[in-house]
Amino acid sequence: MNKKSEVEIDQKKLQDLITHYNQERWPLIPLLQKIQDEFGYIFPSSIPLIARRLKLHPSEVQGVISFYAQLYTEPRGRKTVRVCRGTACHVRGGKTILKQTKEHLGIDEGETTDDLEYTLETVACIGVCALAPTIVIGHQVYGNLNPQKLGQLFKRNGG
Amino acid sequence: MLVTITIDQREVSGHAGMTILELARESGINIPTICEHPQLTPLGGCRICLVENEQTGVLLASCVTPIAPGMIINTVSDRVLEHRKMILKLMLASHPDSCLVCDKGNNCQLRQLAADLGIGLVELDRIPQPAIVEELNPFILRDMSKCILCARCIRACRELVVEGVLDYFGRGFKTKPATLYDFPLENSECTFCGACVALCPTGALTEKEEMYRGATGHAVETICPYCSCGCHISLEIKDNMVVRVKPSVDNADSRLEALCVKGSYGLDFIHSPDRLTKPLIKKGEHFEEATWEEALNVTAGALKQIKTEHGSASLAVFGSVNCTNEENYLLQRFARGVLGTNNIDNGSSLEHAATRRVIKNSLGFPGINYSFTDLEQADLILVVGADPKTSAPLVNYLLKRAVKFYGAKLILIDPRKTELFYLTDHWLQPKIGTDFVLLNSLAKIIIAENWIDHEFVARKTENYAALAKSLENLSLSQVEAVTGIAEEQMHLIARLYATAGKAAIVFGTGITQQARGKENVRALLNLALLTGNIWRKGGGLHLLQKECNAQGACDMGTLPTFLPGYQPIDDPHARAVFAECWQVEPPAKPGLTASETIFQAKAGIIKGLYITGENPLASFPHSALVKEALESLDFLVVQDLFLTETARQAKVVLPAASFAEKEGTFTNLEGKVQKIRQAIKPLGQSRPDWQIILQLAAALGHPMPFTSLEEVKEEMSELILFYENYANEKDVEEKEFWETGTTHRLPLRKFPGFSPAEYSTLPVETDDEFPLTLLTENTSFHFGSGSRSSRSSRLSKFDSSFLVRINEVDAQKMGLFTGEQVRVISAVGQLPATVEITDVVPEGVVLLPRSRPDRPAIGLFSLYPANEGKIPTAKTCHVRIERSLGHE
Ligand code: SF4
Ligand code: SF4
Ligand code: SF4
Ligand code: FES
Ligand code: FES
Repeated sequence: MNKKSEVEIDQKKLQDLITHYNQERWPLIPLLQKIQDEFGYIFPSSIPLIARRLKLHPSEVQGVISFYAQLYTEPRGRKTVRVCRGTACHVRGGKTILKQTKEHLGIDEGETTDDLEYTLETVACIGVCALAPTIVIGHQVYGNLNPQKLGQLFKRNGG
Repeated sequence: MLVTITIDQREVSGHAGMTILELARESGINIPTICEHPQLTPLGGCRICLVENEQTGVLLASCVTPIAPGMIINTVSDRVLEHRKMILKLMLASHPDSCLVCDKGNNCQLRQLAADLGIGLVELDRIPQPAIVEELNPFILRDMSKCILCARCIRACRELVVEGVLDYFGRGFKTKPATLYDFPLENSECTFCGACVALCPTGALTEKEEMYRGATGHAVETICPYCSCGCHISLEIKDNMVVRVKPSVDNADSRLEALCVKGSYGLDFIHSPDRLTKPLIKKGEHFEEATWEEALNVTAGALKQIKTEHGSASLAVFGSVNCTNEENYLLQRFARGVLGTNNIDNGSSLEHAATRRVIKNSLGFPGINYSFTDLEQADLILVVGADPKTSAPLVNYLLKRAVKFYGAKLILIDPRKTELFYLTDHWLQPKIGTDFVLLNSLAKIIIAENWIDHEFVARKTENYAALAKSLENLSLSQVEAVTGIAEEQMHLIARLYATAGKAAIVFGTGITQQARGKENVRALLNLALLTGNIWRKGGGLHLLQKECNAQGACDMGTLPTFLPGYQPIDDPHARAVFAECWQVEPPAKPGLTASETIFQAKAGIIKGLYITGENPLASFPHSALVKEALESLDFLVVQDLFLTETARQAKVVLPAASFAEKEGTFTNLEGKVQKIRQAIKPLGQSRPDWQIILQLAAALGHPMPFTSLEEVKEEMSELILFYENYANEKDVEEKEFWETGTTHRLPLRKFPGFSPAEYSTLPVETDDEFPLTLLTENTSFHFGSGSRSSRSSRLSKFDSSFLVRINEVDAQKMGLFTGEQVRVISAVGQLPATVEITDVVPEGVVLLPRSRPDRPAIGLFSLYPANEGKIPTAKTCHVRIERSLGHE
C-alpha cells in the first residue's frame, strides 16, 4: 500500500503538465486542478516550479491554492470521510460520532491516515437530516449512526 | 472628457476614469482610507473609504468606484459614518491594545483613524489572533496580531519591488500575508528592501533593532550614499542621531519611491563605534590622537617637502566616488593648482575608464545618461553582463516592472544565471570573454537581414560603411564554435532586438571589466546605432555604475587626463580657461592613472599620496602589490570615515564627516545632479571633506578663495559643462532633452559614429595550475569596497558568509561539498572561503562576493599596467581551489 512518505513524484509528468497548460491563456487554476487529479494533491515543492514556468511569484500560486478549499497541498486519502456537524446531527449525537471517527482513524480533522486511505473532514449539513446523525465516506452516505454501526462501517471499509 | 458630479453638495468635475476618491481629494474633500495608497493599484479591500450615493442609497468604496455623470455623493452621511465606525471597530476588535508600546506609534494610520472617528475601547468580542512571527533577521519585525489585512505589503512587494515574497495565505480567520510555505522572511526570497514596512499602515510590520525608539524630532530629505541610483531618502533625526530611514515622499516621481536594504537598513554605519572622531598621526608603529592643527601641519609639511625635493610629479591624489561633486572638484583643483600635478584619479576608473573612452569616441561625450524611468516604455530590454539586483536595485525594480506590468520582452546575456533569468524568455550564456564576438554577430545579422533603421543611419550617424566592411569576414558558424551560442539563436535575438521598436540595453561591469571590455561596449553602441535606438525614448543604453557619485567624480575631473567637464588636459585652450580662473595654470602633462600610481609608488617614483574616501587595499586588484606600493611611500595621508585597511598604512589619518553630516551634490547614473543635505552635526571632531581640502590648501600656503560651498558651486557652474545651471538648482530639463533629440550631455559631436567591429578572439589561455575562471559579484547586503556596509551592524550581522560558488561538475571533479572550507588561489594571492555548489555559474567558472574589506576578492586579480589606452583593466583571473587543512 502506498504510504505517505513513499509518494513518488513523477517530475517529468509534472513538467509535461506545466508545459501543456502554459500554452493556455489562464493556465493556473486548470493546471492546479490537473496536478491535483494526477497526483492526488499539489505537493508543496511543485509550487516554485509552477510559478517559475508561468512567470508568477511562488507566493501568488500558494495564495491561490490556499484560497480554494478544493485545492490541497497535502496528500489526501483515497476516501474523504465527512462527519456532519449540522444542527440535526448535533442534537442526535454527532459530536460523539466525530470523536469516535477520530479514534477509529487515529487522526484529527483535516488529517490523512498514514496509509493514505482516509482524510477526515467535517461539514455543515449534508442535507439528509432525517437520517441524523450522518457521515459520508467517499460518495456513500450512512445515516442513523450509533457507535456500533460506526465501528462496523470502518471494519467494512477496511479502516 | 469631463465628468461632473456632486460631492457633499458641491459640484466638481474630473476626467472620465477618475475614482470618486481622486476627485474628492483634488477638490479638497477628505475621505479616510486605509488600504488605498497612491503607489499601489487600488484594492477596495478595507471599505473605510465608503461614501453614499444619494440617488440609489448604495454605499460605495470610493477608492475603486469611477465617477459617473450626475452622481450625487455624500461622504459624511449618517449611514456612511455609522458603517465606517463599525468597520473600524471590527478591525480594532482583532487588534491588540498595545498602542502605547507599539513602535509605529504616532505613525499608525489605524490609531489616527480611531481618534478621528472618536472610537475608544471596542465593545465587540475580541477575536484572538496569532502574534509575533519569530524571525532571526535583524531588519523586519512582523506581528500579525496587528495586521488588518489591507494587503498593502503584498502589493508593495509585488508592484513596487516586484519580488512577490508575500501573498495572502489561508482562509477565513486564518488569513494573513505570508511567504511561501509560511517560512520566516530570511528563508524566503525577501530582499529586506523595507517597502512593505514603509507602507504598512499599522504596527504589523516594523523595523527591528532601531537604535532608538519612539517619536522622532524631524526628518531631513537627502540622497542615499550607496549606489548610483541616487534614491531619495528621508532621515529621521533625534538628538543628533539618524534613527530611521524611509523612502522620501518628496520625490517628484513616485515611481522612484522604493529603496533597497542598504538604503533602508544599512545606513547605521553613520553611528558605528568605528567612526574616526579625531585626527591620528602615526608615531612608530602606532597611531596617536592629534589636534587638527597638528595633523594638517604634519601633512602640509610632508607634502611640501616631497614637492621641493622630488617635484610635483612625485605626488598623487585619489579622489572619491563617494564624495560630493564639490569635494571632487576641490580635490582636483588642489592636485592641479596647489600640488601642481595631474596625478589624480578616482576609484571608478578601474571599472569604467575604458568604457568612457569608447563612448566618447562614438558619441562625442564620455558618458551615457538615460533616465531609467524610461525603461517602463521599452518594448524590449537586453541585459548584458549586469545584475541590477545587486548593483543598481532601483533600476532592477523599474526593469522588472517593465517586464511584468508593461509587457517588455527581456533578453539576458550573461554567463551567470542571475535572478532576472526567471523573467526572461531568452538567456544566452556565451563562453567567458566572448560577448563581443556574439554582439558583433548580431550586428552582422541585422545588416544582412536589412533590419537596420536606414533613415536614422543615413541622416544621423557617421562611419556606417566602416562597420559594414569590418563585419564582412565574420563567419557565423565560427562564432557558434567560439561563443557556444547556436546560429539560429543569434538570429532570433538579432531579430527581436532590431524589430522590437523601443529596445533598451542595460549593461554593467560584467562586460566592461573584461579584457575585451572596449570591444564589448563598441559592439553595444553599434547595435543601438544600427537600429536607431540611441536617442529613442524607451530605447538607449543604460550603463550601471556603482558608487553613488561615480558619474560626478568623473564629471568633476578627478581623472588624470581630463579637466572638469572632460576638457582634455593637453588642450591649451581648456587649460587657459582654468588658468584664468585659478590664477595658476594646470600642468599640461597628463597624469598617472590609479593603477599607474600604484606601480610608480612601488618603483619609488611616487613618494607622497593623498587618498580621500577610497580604500584601494580592498577595492583594487592585486592587494599584495598595492600594499607593497603603499608601504614604499614616504608619506601617505588618508581621509576617511573609518580606519580602513588603507588608512592603517597611513602616516596621518584625517576623520571625515559622513554624507549625513554635510551639504553638497551627487550625480546619479542618469546624470541627475541631486542635493544632499546636512541632517546632523559632524560626529566628534570629524569634518566634511571639502573643509579639510580647503584647510589643507591653506596649510600648504596656497589657500583657495572659497569661504562657502556656494562659492565653490558658482565656480563649478561657470567652468563645467552640464553643470551650468546647477548652482541655481535647475537640473537639465528632461523635456528639452527629448524634444530636441539632443542633451546637454551629448554636445561635443554632431553625429555619433559607428566603430569598426573587432572580433578576433584571444588565444584561449588555459592554465593547468589555475584551471578555473574567477568572477566577482556584488551582493545585496554589501557595497563598494565594503568599508561602510561592513560597519552597518545589521547588514554585517545578516550577511557574514563568504561563499565561493561553484558548478556541480567542477565540484564533483574536485570532490568538494557545499559547506567545505577551501582556499581560492590565484597567481597573486589567496583567500579562504566556504564552498557552495550552484547552477548559477557554468562549468569552469567560480564566483566570489565583492565588497568584503576583510577578504577582497578583487585583490586576487592582477593589476595590469596601463595598456595602449592608458586604461587599467582587471583582466580575467584564473584560480584554483584547494581544500583547507584545519581551521584558518
Ligand atoms: S501586514 Fe500591514 S500592510 Fe500587510 S496586510 Fe497587514 S496591516 Fe496591511
Ligand atoms: S522587505 Fe521588500 S522583498 Fe521583503 S517582503 Fe517586504 S517588500 Fe517584499
Ligand atoms: S538602490 Fe542604491 S541608492 Fe537606492 S537605496 Fe539602494 S543603495 Fe541606496
Ligand atoms: S444536520 Fe447532519 S445532515 Fe443535516
Ligand atoms: S481605502 Fe477604499 S477600500 Fe480601502
